[in-house]
Amino acid sequence: MRIRFRAAALAASAAALFPAAWAVIAAMPPFGEHVSPYGAAVNAVVPAARHVSNMVAAVNFDLRGLDTLGEESMLLCAVTGTVVLLRGARGEGTSGSAVRLPGRAIAQRSDATILVCRFAATLLFFFGVYVALHGLVTPGGGFQGGVIIASGLLLLYLGEGYAHWRSIVRGRILSFLEGAGALLFVLVGAIPLALGKAAFRNILPLGTLRDLYAGGTMVVVNAAVACAVAGGFTLILLEFMEETRAPETEREPGEGG
Amino acid sequence: MSVLPWCVAAWLFAVGIYGIATSRHYVHLVGCLSVCQSATYVLLLAVGFHWHAGPPIFYDHPPGTPAVDPVVQALVLTDIVIGATVTALLLAIVVQAHKLSGSVDPQRLRPLRPNA
Repeated sequence: MRIRFRAAALAASAAALFPAAWAVIAAMPPFGEHVSPYGAAVNAVVPAARHVSNMVAAVNFDLRGLDTLGEESMLLCAVTGTVVLLRGARGEGTSGSAVRLPGRAIAQRSDATILVCRFAATLLFFFGVYVALHGLVTPGGGFQGGVIIASGLLLLYLGEGYAHWRSIVRGRILSFLEGAGALLFVLVGAIPLALGKAAFRNILPLGTLRDLYAGGTMVVVNAAVACAVAGGFTLILLEFMEETRAPETEREPGEGG
Repeated sequence: MSVLPWCVAAWLFAVGIYGIATSRHYVHLVGCLSVCQSATYVLLLAVGFHWHAGPPIFYDHPPGTPAVDPVVQALVLTDIVIGATVTALLLAIVVQAHKLSGSVDPQRLRPLRPNA
């Protein structure tokens, strides 16, 4: 009954907003025929001005570096919020190693699973590093590479089991990567200010087009983003898994805490 | 065919909003929010598309060849990463809500009262 009421409220507000939405929809340019002046200018100017071939990375890490710093802080805030919320009930002191439930059996993995996961996790980890390193040359970059590295680490958990995974992947290192990546990003923006130039001014040598070192400060920002994303995502995975492992005490889940 | 991308974006957004409005489970609600968000990806990529233009990566083809808009692609890229972490944050809130009230039904969630 209440759900029907909610759907009716949605339909009423949609009907009220429809004239305004239709005015925007009708004014949209035909698909594939509109050229944005900003994008066209980026494509025309940046390969010569910054010596990078990946325009998407150039927009993210140099031209709109300040905006990406905002995204980076959002990432930091979301990861921090997730970790704080999940740790809330467990307390601040995190165990360095895995917590084990007394009643829960540890499922044995077959040798084939362990072998495949070790190979695949290693390959995926290095593929992530490769994608992050070549972010300014070919499609890829710190964001994508960082997520691939985090999924490689998750695959390692599948093969090794939780206790062994926790002895390989240290929570402190992950938090350090997350924070250090964000700090490095801020420094790249702030050091030109200290030198009396504009923030995010590209002060490093630009390198050569289609080379691994190309784009000056973009290389540093790319590495910072890769560290922050890999560390942040793995930290979230670790905290969620720790949540399922929280040792049961006298308190029942319904009684609050 | 040229209106298809707009229709896909509108459909994804409408389906996601309907799911959020009629949700009975918080995890379902967070999933619907992700569907809504993917509508923005489709819309942004469609806005930046241009016929007969290549990717905005000048490795195989020299700078100067027609390429699609890189700005919206950069927006989508950061949007996806932020969307994933915000989903994790929302799911963490769901875990806490379940611990505190024992329910994951938006209908049954009540404001917290001291000693209630």
